[in-house]
Amino acid sequence: MSKPIIRIHDLATGEVVDREMTDAEFAQAKKDDKNAAIIEAEAEAKATAKAALFSKLGITAEEAALLLS
Amino acid sequence: MAKQTFTTGQVLTAAQMTSLQQTAMLGGAASAKTASYTLVAADAGTAISMSNASATTITVNTGLFAAGDTVFIQNIGVGACTITAGTATVATAGSLILPQNDAGILYFTATGTATFYDFIQAGAVSPLTTKGDLYTFSTSDTRLAVGATNGHVLTVDSTAPTGLKYAAAGGGSYTQLATGSFSGASTTISSIDQTYQDILVVIKDISNTVGYGVGVRLNNDTTASVGYSYLSSQSSTDVTSGSNPTSTMNGADTTTAGMYGQLLIRNYTATGTKSIQWNCARSATVYTTGGATSAVTAAVTSLVFLRENGSATFTFNGGTYILYGVK
Repeated sequence: MSKPIIRIHDLATGEVVDREMTDAEFAQAKKDDKNAAIIEAEAEAKATAKAALFSKLGITAEEAALLLS
Repeated sequence: MAKQTFTTGQVLTAAQMTSLQQTAMLGGAASAKTASYTLVAADAGTAISMSNASATTITVNTGLFAAGDTVFIQNIGVGACTITAGTATVATAGSLILPQNDAGILYFTATGTATFYDFIQAGAVSPLTTKGDLYTFSTSDTRLAVGATNGHVLTVDSTAPTGLKYAAAGGGSYTQLATGSFSGASTTISSIDQTYQDILVVIKDISNTVGYGVGVRLNNDTTASVGYSYLSSQSSTDVTSGSNPTSTMNGADTTTAGMYGQLLIRNYTATGTKSIQWNCARSATVYTTGGATSAVTAAVTSLVFLRENGSATFTFNGGTYILYGVK
């Protein structure tokens, strides 16, 4: 399976190279994927919890913001 | 030999004939002058040779010469010699200022009127000698050597001999270092010039296949954390903070063209944490602005633009960048 293509613009030479990720870069990209997925899941969980809390309190986000202002 | 008044029956000596011949051929011994001088009647038909390291003048007055008289004037000194109209009128199509090794003939059309025929007409001989020289003027045509330091610019300076000098550009200038386009899963700008105070990246029409935000990673450092906060039109809480190896440059997702933004990294060559400020907008209601502090302490030599969040396969659809160095 081919790895993703990345672009490198070297200002010392002015050269622009499009090439496949190296093994190390690909491994880092996978790690980034995992981290991003965790952050995404956390954000979604937070949003869901917030929505549930608003529903329980019977107020909207705008009303909650007003209470805190 | 000065102009003579011959009489009937006069016999000329061989020396007189030789001198007259030399004068007629614009040669002969010159009357050496080392300071500013006012022509006298006896100078008619002779050569005046000025030599002085500083500027001098040769003054021309009326009532001393007759129509048809000539005076050959040369300047062999470093200082410019100026033919100056005293009480006479002196016209020229060239220059009345003789730089070193220039010469000319003062030809009287009347006792109080003369024309100076400058041998080297203005612009006929270039003073330029070296790569980068500029043709300027002080008291005569002068070369201005190119500045010794790359990046210096030409500046007006009334105290300089030519009124010009090379000096460092004033503060606040922007220098375009690179332009390019985004492509692939990430786009890296590497080997960034280290001679500026800050760097600014201006981004236009950036988009990607999955509509995620775009982040930037300094020096491709995947371990240094970034504390950041931003205001986003798309965030329900408006203010967000967190820590992520990739700082958020582009909080608003985009899959279409029309997204503009800019990213400023302060003191990017200094050792220590880096301050990053950004803002971007796609429309009146889709925008993000924020700041971050990166734990990267080394000088920033490269910027890696990549997906800021989400785990789906990400590829830039397009977009362009211009990198500026800021003094």
